[in-house]
Amino acid sequence: MSGPVSRPAIVSALLKKEFRAYSRDTIWLLLTLLALVAIPVAFLFLPDSVDESLTLGVAPPVSSLVEDARETLKGMGATDEQLAELDEADFTEEQEGLLLVEFETEEDLQRVVAGELEAWQTGSGELVLRDTEADEDEPEDAEKVSVSIGVAFPPDFIAAVAAGRDDVKVTVYSFADVPQEIQGAIESFVREAGYQLAGQELPVTIPEEEFVMLGEDRAGDQVSLQDKFRPLVIFMVLLMETFSMASLVSTEVLQRTVTAVLVTPARIGDFLFAKTVFGTFMSLGQALIVLLIIGGLTAQNWSLVLTILLMGSIMFTGVALFVGASGKDFMGQLFYTMLFTIPLLTPTFSVLFPGTAAGWVRILPTYPIIDTLYAAMTYGTTWADSARELAYAAFWLVVLYGAGLFTLRRKVASL
Amino acid sequence: MTTPAIKVEGLSFSYGDIEAVKNVSFEVMPGEILGFLGPNGAGKSTTIKVLTGQMSPRSGRAEILGRETGHDDPEIQAQIGVCFEEKNLYLNMSALENLDFYASLFGIKDADSLEVLRRVGLADRAKDRVHSFSKGMRQRMMISRAFINKPTVLFLDEPTDGLDPVTSASIRKTIKEEAERGAAVLLTTHDMFEADELSDRVAFINEGEIVALDTAENLKLKYGTRSVRVRLRDRDGVREEHVPLDENDSSARIAALAASPDLMTIHTEEATLEAIFIELTGRGLE
Repeated sequence: MSGPVSRPAIVSALLKKEFRAYSRDTIWLLLTLLALVAIPVAFLFLPDSVDESLTLGVAPPVSSLVEDARETLKGMGATDEQLAELDEADFTEEQEGLLLVEFETEEDLQRVVAGELEAWQTGSGELVLRDTEADEDEPEDAEKVSVSIGVAFPPDFIAAVAAGRDDVKVTVYSFADVPQEIQGAIESFVREAGYQLAGQELPVTIPEEEFVMLGEDRAGDQVSLQDKFRPLVIFMVLLMETFSMASLVSTEVLQRTVTAVLVTPARIGDFLFAKTVFGTFMSLGQALIVLLIIGGLTAQNWSLVLTILLMGSIMFTGVALFVGASGKDFMGQLFYTMLFTIPLLTPTFSVLFPGTAAGWVRILPTYPIIDTLYAAMTYGTTWADSARELAYAAFWLVVLYGAGLFTLRRKVASL
Repeated sequence: MTTPAIKVEGLSFSYGDIEAVKNVSFEVMPGEILGFLGPNGAGKSTTIKVLTGQMSPRSGRAEILGRETGHDDPEIQAQIGVCFEEKNLYLNMSALENLDFYASLFGIKDADSLEVLRRVGLADRAKDRVHSFSKGMRQRMMISRAFINKPTVLFLDEPTDGLDPVTSASIRKTIKEEAERGAAVLLTTHDMFEADELSDRVAFINEGEIVALDTAENLKLKYGTRSVRVRLRDRDGVREEHVPLDENDSSARIAALAASPDLMTIHTEEATLEAIFIELTGRGLE
């Protein structure tokens, strides 16, 4: 005969059993290893900075355009003073983030942009072209330059524009994957250059001191792909852990082991509490391990990040309890898993593609979690900045966790 | 006066509109084995669920050791052992780990789980995971789990289901030992032989109602017919005759048949519990 047993002793026994059952489940053990090893490794391969420079191909070389313009302009009666001004103008002067690569012919430019030729630049600035299909050796002491957009000017471009001709044809070559806005910017750049060479002022001026940057100016410090993926990775770990937990709950329900537990001094409350504690700390623990590997915790954001992760872990545990209790078999569980995965994952895309979150996405339960996580890790937002999102996350936490508890409790009672 | 270990008075339970248990009353004294017999859906499992605290009765009373059940009472739960019909064991845990886990839920610190496994013949597989066990071994695990807390009240639902005759006999011996130790046993089974052999008293339950409750012997005397079966050689082979013992001329008929030169065998026959059940309910036990 047994003596009285305390609630903590029962919960501790249940937790020990949960851990044992979890560690013996090969599939979920593999998924856990995947979450802890493969995801961080894949993350480390993501670029940790953003290349803000634009490489622009130009044909023919600017020096050739200038030289050609000098002869023609002289012929047109330009004064020595005006020609001296042209000499002083440095068209290759490197703008911030703009790298000019000069091609001898329009055909070379076109083939490089199309990917038929590779452009390599030597240390002395010489451009070497390599035919990718001719199996030529890579040039020595040279660096490959990626040119996916370029401008082909007619040889007499400067002179023709200066002369006020209106039939000057400039061709912009662009590879298919160049964003529309870059193509538009290059067209505008050519048009502006034409106006200026023709001696016409643009109708609109944007003096630098009048340019108003709203929000944090991240010029030169853009959000890298790693920064964008960091909350996404943490989120994926939470989600993966949720479904491990759902599987454990489902096994317990389908095999009715819970019934055997509940004819001992253990109560349904002990069972649910142990499941919640185990689910929450497995998710939170793994998320923290991954976070320590991939970085993201700082002296400023740690308390906010930990709080939102804890809220996310409890919320996802609630989902796990619901999914585990609802699926009548493997297919049923898979159905409920998919039912939750899609809406819960959707807000992560708002991080990958800022500004794309539709109104309905902001309503989803995981939106405040992912949004706060991203803002705290990337922009260092404070508790005060995140108060509204935290309150909204707390609301969803109560709803989802409550639904999970209610469903599992009802399911157990019906066994 | 000894308090009944199990006391049920006017117990009723419904699943929606379906009345699963109707006004059931019985008692089981410490050290007694009560056989609870009935076909599937008769209300046996529902009664056990109420008694083990898994469900609350809609009406009537159910008491374990003088305390009312159905209130999630750890004091009662600590005193009971349950062997379920479905083999709800943790398959990824070893036999020993399963028993140690349940022992810890009862607050037993130094559980002799190995000894319990030895009683059901599983000591040599103690460290093997349950998923590698055969159906019979899992059933023995179920029995051992029910014994882990040395319960005062045992609920055994089809405890020898799927076991071979040798193992069944061994399990029956173990159940008897538990009763001799003083445990009250509520045994549900389809197996009339098992009920007859183990039970001090037998309750027949049909469509949620107890239709008979007495010792097996009394039930046979009350409802059964004793007879003698005589086999005689015949021109066409073998002829069989049944002579009821309770008829006036039965002695003379038996004497005449016994004296016949064609006599092959002569046996007394008593009513089986199954025959009595069929007589009382008009249906079989399966």
